[in-house]
Amino acid sequence: MSAVSADIEPAGDVRQAETKWRRRGLGALAILLPLTLAEISYDSVREWLHGEDLVARDIDFGQSMPFGGSDWRLADLRGGKAGRLPEHAFAVIATFAVTVGDPDLQKQWLGCKLMLTDATGRRWLPDFISGVSLPDGVMNCTSAIFSGAKKGNVITVGETFIVPEDAVKTIRPAVGLGSERPWYLRFQRPPK
Amino acid sequence: MFKTARSRFQTWITAGAGTIAALFVAGLMGAFGALPAHAPPQLPPDAAIDAGRWRVQSVRAYVSRAKVYGVPLKPGQKALVLEADMTNRTAQSDKAYFNVFAPDGLALPDGLPMIALTRDQTLTPELHPGMTERMAYVWPLAGDAIVPANLSFGITAEIFKPRDNLYGTPGWFNPTRLGTVTLPIADLPTDSLGTGS
Amino acid sequence: MKIRAIGNLLILAATVALSYGMQVSKPHYAELTAPIPIDGAMHDTVRARSFDVRLDKVVFARTLKTDQFGQTRVLTTSGLWAVVTTNLTATSTSTTVADGTWQGRTGLRYHQTERLSYRQDMPPHAVDPGLERNGLFVFEVPPDQIRGASLLVAARQFAPLDAQARISLDAVPTGADGQPAEILPQYDLDAAVPSVQGKS
Repeated sequence: MSAVSADIEPAGDVRQAETKWRRRGLGALAILLPLTLAEISYDSVREWLHGEDLVARDIDFGQSMPFGGSDWRLADLRGGKAGRLPEHAFAVIATFAVTVGDPDLQKQWLGCKLMLTDATGRRWLPDFISGVSLPDGVMNCTSAIFSGAKKGNVITVGETFIVPEDAVKTIRPAVGLGSERPWYLRFQRPPK
Repeated sequence: MFKTARSRFQTWITAGAGTIAALFVAGLMGAFGALPAHAPPQLPPDAAIDAGRWRVQSVRAYVSRAKVYGVPLKPGQKALVLEADMTNRTAQSDKAYFNVFAPDGLALPDGLPMIALTRDQTLTPELHPGMTERMAYVWPLAGDAIVPANLSFGITAEIFKPRDNLYGTPGWFNPTRLGTVTLPIADLPTDSLGTGS
Repeated sequence: MKIRAIGNLLILAATVALSYGMQVSKPHYAELTAPIPIDGAMHDTVRARSFDVRLDKVVFARTLKTDQFGQTRVLTTSGLWAVVTTNLTATSTSTTVADGTWQGRTGLRYHQTERLSYRQDMPPHAVDPGLERNGLFVFEVPPDQIRGASLLVAARQFAPLDAQARISLDAVPTGADGQPAEILPQYDLDAAVPSVQGKS
């Protein structure tokens, strides 16, 4: 029976030690819970960042910038009315001159996306327009990836877009690559 | 001392009783498992059968040696075809009808059948709630496979759970063999099928 | 000692009651992760998250005529064909609108037909910001599922927590028996003006 009574009334220092450890445990919880949350969401956040073009790197016209292992320069941006497009729509062709650095384009350029952005932040992805084709020697991103370009080659990459009239004045071409996201390149328009 | 001995005795009794109960239940389950499984019931071939998410009514079955309802056959193959009227009993369009019918006792090189809408030969379209459509199940067979004059088809049904145990989402689970329908198998000459369009 | 035991029991009972009450009353996982409906009426522009949609026209027909690979096909149905013409625009980024569902008054969901092969004016519709385009959604529906129905349009079929436009079809004229006021014997999908743009 003596053992039972010792359980009910522990000596003062034992109780104190227990209280201290309980307090430490609670404190650890406050640190561990946020850490656990961060660890669990880390992969999702990283995957999301690598899938979105979030942060622009602005480049002046005529300048080139290394991106995804190659040097990108805006070669041309032109637009006009085309064939049977709806009334307030313009066809736009954007082309880039790319000096290939790292020839492993299938890895570096995975998820390559050419787009147009305007002053209000809207984005246009490439469209097929009947009657409008890319100039000779211009490839789209996918065919460039499989073109077998070597280091030092200069290739021309471009796409056609359909853009509403109210955006044509402010559109700027942009490039996103899987190996560089969340960063993307945004080019200044050629001077008039 | 006496108390300790008594509690030890009690512990032994408790643990022993648990063990005996577990052995007993396991024995019972084993005994049931050894019982001969009763054969799935024969279902009437000329009535509509509610089989989980589908109401099915078999129409006819035959062996074809030519392309049937747009389903191509490899050279030297023939096909076992079952035509059935299918009605979606659920609240949304669905195409989970691949495992509803299965012929018994035939070696199927492809496993799952090709299924075509007889109305216009569309392969495996979604069927919509309450809209009955005639579907053709086509199982390619080896050219020399022997198909009995009367063949039984197993019918598999699932049950609806408003909330599954993992996510609490509604769905269809636990496929079970509802029964079999036995149909006479006609052996069709090459060109007697309407191809529709 | 006794009071403490009773207290513990009370806490346990209260916890059980609270948990049960929450299980019964709180929305379930499927509801929590369902698409978020955005209601609208016919001829109104409904603003979903990634696209705007306006329902322009609903035509009912007994058969559907289409040219496919140079062949004319006439598609029949056990119900009616409902051809829904919508006007679509992307809000901020070029995207696709791929999923249409006809929801009957009692909640039956008729997904868009899979019996037509790909056409420019059929889903998935590629849409650009600032540019309107026409997009068709074609359904097979029983005649008794027309009065009180609504059209659900979403970017993708399984899109938890994404917006889903829910457009009431109350403005579709129906007769006293609930059947549509006008049913064409045949609707020619290719008689409409062909579209000249699409995603590359």
